[in-house]
Amino acid sequence: MTSLSMRADEVSDKELLARHAQGDPHAFAELVHRHRDRMWAVALRTLGDPEEAADALQDACLSAFRAAGRFRGDAAVTTWLHRIVVNACLDRIRRKSVRPATPMGDDATFDAVAPKMPDPTDAHGVSLDVHTALLQLPFEQRAALVLVDMMGYSVDDAAQVLEVPPGTIKSRCARGRARLAPLLVQHRNRRDPRNVGGVEGGGMPR
Amino acid sequence: MNPAHLDYDILADLAEGLLEDDRAASVNAHLDTCAECRDRSADLADVSRILAEAPVPSMPAELAERIDTAIAAESLNNATVVSMEQRRGRRHWRILSAAAAAVVVLGGGTVVGKIALDGSDGGDHQSAARSPVQDAEKDRGASAQGAAPPSNRAMSSPSYTVSHSGTDYRAGTLPSQVEKLLGTGTAPRADGIAPDPRLTDCVAGVTHGRTPQLVDQATFEGRQATVIAVRGGPKSWNVWVVGPDCTAQDPHLLTEAKA
Repeated sequence: MTSLSMRADEVSDKELLARHAQGDPHAFAELVHRHRDRMWAVALRTLGDPEEAADALQDACLSAFRAAGRFRGDAAVTTWLHRIVVNACLDRIRRKSVRPATPMGDDATFDAVAPKMPDPTDAHGVSLDVHTALLQLPFEQRAALVLVDMMGYSVDDAAQVLEVPPGTIKSRCARGRARLAPLLVQHRNRRDPRNVGGVEGGGMPR
Repeated sequence: MNPAHLDYDILADLAEGLLEDDRAASVNAHLDTCAECRDRSADLADVSRILAEAPVPSMPAELAERIDTAIAAESLNNATVVSMEQRRGRRHWRILSAAAAAVVVLGGGTVVGKIALDGSDGGDHQSAARSPVQDAEKDRGASAQGAAPPSNRAMSSPSYTVSHSGTDYRAGTLPSQVEKLLGTGTAPRADGIAPDPRLTDCVAGVTHGRTPQLVDQATFEGRQATVIAVRGGPKSWNVWVVGPDCTAQDPHLLTEAKA
């Protein structure tokens, strides 16, 4: 509270949320500021389309703003925030009830999903393939994999975010990975030379 | 494919521990003897690795700004309601500070989050050294019970001085004029005049308590005006031009820009 002695990283997420609930007009903006890249990553990856993701994220931020008073302290604030983001994404998909995937092709989408980086391993190309492959999955599998494999959530935390039992998360992840495996196989680092072109190695599609 | 081979689904279930014990045992037995299936199993592990290595995209600046603006608008409504209902002692302040936040957002949405930390809650400025987090609650109680009304955000003497660069700022060239003054590293500190209380209040309101890099009493489009610039990034500034009678309550904002 004291501008002189307080630094950003000294205030916990929960404290910010509490301040917001008490009427501090800036606490919530700071909370969003702090987590926006990860929230954006979740929205963009679960929806696939940058415009939809942007709308979903704005919806999510406003829902969170209004619902903050009902936040129960038994979950991490980020878990709560990501749950709201995922639900906002799901709402978007339901509202459209069309297929979630949008055709790839415009530069804005490319740039959004695959930030260009000076990276000799062609992270850009991998990102695009990951993005395209993820869109082949049903929403539930995609959301589970985004949280667990991409954002590094534990199965239990992802279960809290998505409000399903941990076993459901495991099974959605397993289904999703099984579907992605043939799509991403070209990006494998086959360190073991025995495997390169071995057996009927490249027999997968693409 | 040889029907004896394992498909990705079974292997993925095995990896997640989802198979019944006897099924898991037979799958493992097959893996022991089948290089191809071991390879497919490794494909699955690589899926997780590839996903984990995908770079996290940064939120686009326009979106960040849009969301900050939406939050500030929501905040304005919210602050009014909250203060009416529960925080009568702080009501005035809350409305004002939300309004100030909205002004700042219009000027440069992406800096709002930072501003929010740098001195948003003026009521507590007097008491500097103590454990901030635990005391926040008590603090609020104290202010709400009508301790000194937190109308003056800058109790301590400001850490900046006022310049009189003599620049006639123009709307079209404002960013470059500010940049020229600040970018060269030779900010016109020369006169080193401390701001009077009204200007201190004005600056605190406009910058929301951040320390400005430039407070220049000059002219804008030929009229008397004060130009205030706050660092918005490593090489960027948020600039406000306010009229000579600017106060925190009513900044008389003439224009704002990013430099």
